Amino acid sequence: MIRNRPQGRIILLMTIIIAMILVIIPMPDSLRLFRPEWVLMTLLYWALALPERVGIGFAWTVGLLMDMMLGGTLGILAFSYALVTYLIINFHLQLRQYPLWQQALMIMSLVLLVNVIKVIFTPMVASGYFWIPAVVSTLVWPIVYAVLRKIRRVFGVS
Amino acid sequence: MFYRAEFIKPLFSQAPSLNARLLLAFMVSITLFLLDSRLNYFAPVRATLATVLYPIQVAAALPSDLSRWTADFFQDRTALRNRNNKLESMQLLSSMRLQKLQALERENMRLRELLGSSFRLTERVLVAELLTIDLDPSFQQVVVNKGKRDGIFLGQPALDASGVMGQVTEVYPFSSRVVLLTDPSHGIPVQINRNGVRAVATGRGLGNPLQLEHLPHNVDVREGDLLVTSGLGGRFPVGYPVGTVKSIHFPEGRAFAEVAVEPAAHLSTSRELLLVLPIEELENTAQSVVSMEQSDDTK
Repeated sequence: MIRNRPQGRIILLMTIIIAMILVIIPMPDSLRLFRPEWVLMTLLYWALALPERVGIGFAWTVGLLMDMMLGGTLGILAFSYALVTYLIINFHLQLRQYPLWQQALMIMSLVLLVNVIKVIFTPMVASGYFWIPAVVSTLVWPIVYAVLRKIRRVFGVS
Repeated sequence: MFYRAEFIKPLFSQAPSLNARLLLAFMVSITLFLLDSRLNYFAPVRATLATVLYPIQVAAALPSDLSRWTADFFQDRTALRNRNNKLESMQLLSSMRLQKLQALERENMRLRELLGSSFRLTERVLVAELLTIDLDPSFQQVVVNKGKRDGIFLGQPALDASGVMGQVTEVYPFSSRVVLLTDPSHGIPVQINRNGVRAVATGRGLGNPLQLEHLPHNVDVREGDLLVTSGLGGRFPVGYPVGTVKSIHFPEGRAFAEVAVEPAAHLSTSRELLLVLPIEELENTAQSVVSMEQSDDTK
């Protein structure tokens, strides 16, 4: 008999909160442009692993908080996070079969999508750097994936 | 853990479909975006969100606060003595200058009274501290640890020890957001201290100097000129240093000169901000407010 009650809600929220802290933790000015998209990657991992738990509404709320935290106009990150979560949930069965490097490439395209949306809707911003977070996020994706999978298994988040 | 979703999928689910939910998210986002960027309806929403996020911001600022605190705690005696000596000599110098300034200030007031013009030279300030967190590098903003509770208001000018830093753009209950001079959306009315030529200095983003807008080719501006706030627009107090002119170009075939200005304030290293209170606010502010003279004494 499988218990159908969702578990580990608090662990899931904790990982998002830690990712949010990583996004605003101070870094030297020269490295600021190279910051990986921790929150987006965490969100995408959970959407991939537990698509029935992490829905579009959750992603939208996280995006709204990120909009607020980074100082942008409300709604931009909210919508783009909801959009990429939708894509992940729609294709999660195929994506889970991919080897890790192909997953990383998929992460790159999704992070790129979010950044393109951000640049389009944010006026007066130097837009030449929008691709950097996508590349850095791709490089750290295997680590994020391994750590979050460990967390999910150890704490039995389901 | 994965298989549950595939095997026990209900045939007729009650919740709206994925597409419908995405559409809903899209509509809500667009509405929010339009209302938030065009109108100011969302101040209460933003304040609530900011209050929710404040603990996260404090947690993110913790490591660097802690490392600074340890560095402070384990400073050796000679370093402290050297610093103390340096500060004492600086204090001596600035109090000497202050005496002279007070005499000049009084003289200036007297002359202005003779001219019949009302003019206040002294402003009062509130000291706020930065939260050491990084925001999106495409915006030049900082979060400070004083908010509505402490009497911060929208548009309040922020200075540091050496010049203007920016102004308050959003006020939350416990914190507020200050947009810096270098933000691409920020402009500040200035004048050249040497000859009083007026201009507007706009930001150009992270690490770039400010630019003076719409100055004709024949304008009298030189490298090294000090720019101070002109007080036009009524937002910034008059006469605070904004920056020095770094380079001037007169591009052929363009209507306006390109003047680059290096900000006077230490935008990326200052830890404390002075938030200027207008004269009208003086009566109803708390005792945490210190006057300029007092804050100079305690430094």
